[in-house]
Amino acid sequence: MIEFKGVSKTYPGSDRPVVKDLSFEVPEGEICVLVGPSGCGKTTSMRMVNRLIEITEGEILIDGEPNTSMSGTQLRRKIGYAIQQIGLFPHRTIADNIGTVPNLLGWDKSRIKQRVDELLDTVGLAPDDYRARYPAELSGGQQQRVGVARALAADPPIMLMDEPFGAVDPITRESLQDEFLRIQRDIKKTIVFVTHDIDEAIKMGDKIAILKQGGVLAQYDTPENILSRPDSEFVSSFVGADRVLKRLSLTRVGEMDLERANGGTDELLRINERLTVRDALSELIGSGHTRAVVEKDGENGLLTFEAIEELMGGASGEPVDGGKSSK
Amino acid sequence: MSNPALLLLQDVLEEPKLIDWEWIGENFSEDILPALQGHIFLSFVSVGIALLIALPIGILSARYRKAYPPVTFVTGALYSIPSLALLAILISIPGVAIGPSPVIIALVAYSLLILIRNTVAGLDSVPPETKDAARGMGLTDRQILFRVELPLALPIIVAGIRIATVTIIGIATIGAYINGGGLGTLIFDGIGRQFPTMIIAGAVLATALAITADLLLLALERYLRPWARVRRA
Repeated sequence: MIEFKGVSKTYPGSDRPVVKDLSFEVPEGEICVLVGPSGCGKTTSMRMVNRLIEITEGEILIDGEPNTSMSGTQLRRKIGYAIQQIGLFPHRTIADNIGTVPNLLGWDKSRIKQRVDELLDTVGLAPDDYRARYPAELSGGQQQRVGVARALAADPPIMLMDEPFGAVDPITRESLQDEFLRIQRDIKKTIVFVTHDIDEAIKMGDKIAILKQGGVLAQYDTPENILSRPDSEFVSSFVGADRVLKRLSLTRVGEMDLERANGGTDELLRINERLTVRDALSELIGSGHTRAVVEKDGENGLLTFEAIEELMGGASGEPVDGGKSSK
Repeated sequence: MSNPALLLLQDVLEEPKLIDWEWIGENFSEDILPALQGHIFLSFVSVGIALLIALPIGILSARYRKAYPPVTFVTGALYSIPSLALLAILISIPGVAIGPSPVIIALVAYSLLILIRNTVAGLDSVPPETKDAARGMGLTDRQILFRVELPLALPIIVAGIRIATVTIIGIATIGAYINGGGLGTLIFDGIGRQFPTMIIAGAVLATALAITADLLLLALERYLRPWARVRRA
């Protein structure tokens, strides 16, 4: 668990803090996304966790211990670190890059090699093809996979990720996000994840901390609650006018409680149960139908506009549980 | 041809041949080879000493940016002194005897600017995100310097060594003027004796030496950068 307790950062020679009195907790095994406009101090906040930036006021506790209880380098070896620009070592092979922290920690060679291969597998790069290559031989998406593998190398309980999928095209980004969520289901790291993209925040976060200019926390909550009950003008404008549609993307149609369809469904539009409700709605409208059939576990459910409205509980109603299980 | 006086006269009147291979054959091991060895000695000792001075200064200048302008000012001033004048100044200093040492001092002084500048440029060329990732993973400052920054800066540093070496091999010929040895001995003697063969031997060997050193260092530069040889994805 990571706890921010009244954390502020003011740079010397400046009278305005870049992060101001930040307090929130990241529970064990969850992804907390720090999101906000540029200059809101989200990256600064993240970098104070592993003390790449030192705190001016307040403290950050990791499993109850202040992060100042050991040296900065020792602390950083225990915390995974992945950044947008990746920062792979161009003069080292992929295997050496991934093995950086295990090497610093003094693991023996065979254990490092085994771990490297295991991680290459995890991030979907065939070890035999990639371990001896240099970063320049890899595409941007492959490099970001290696960056994530490198951050995971010593199996740190905590990870810091600063727009780790930011440097690739939208399609690659989406697949990297999906893959990472799949990996996270198994490894259950406690993650501080920085992005400027609210859609990424909604997709990746178990919790979202929205920061505003001057490093002030505007709202800290689940994506569902932030979308359904933004507690300020700033948050609602930051999440966007389409926040209702965004909420629809938190749920897959297969997870909806749908009325059973009893026969006569042959002419109806069929929708894949893996689609998000948002995409299903789009298909429904696009096809000109008002109802569609969703096949799930051998049963046919009936997707209607009413069912979607019910899911939303009205545009500003109670948050709907189950959104998170879409991951 | 039987009259010795005529023979002598012919010898004097005849234009000296541009390249007298016979002379080269006869004097190779006595004059030419020692001059070449002396030249190699002067150049490489100078570059070696210059590196020992320039690397730490370059690393510190890259770290503590305020030190860099004064460092470039001083080494730039040294670089701009005409070589002959620098040698003259050096041997006028009491305690500095004529011979190889003032030559080496002068050559070191000439290489510092190039070597320090390339060290700083090399360290500056390391991508900031690479350093950030290194720090974020828990490398110490020293580990970052030796495992990340210097290896990545090395090609540019070696490029500096190439330029410095070629420059120095050229300038070192002047060292013979103050008895520093080297291929300049052949050139100066050749001028004094109006014997082109010696001049040409000295000049050609100095040029060949410079080109050879340049190519060897180029090969070293390539060797030190295996990651740049690979094809981009």
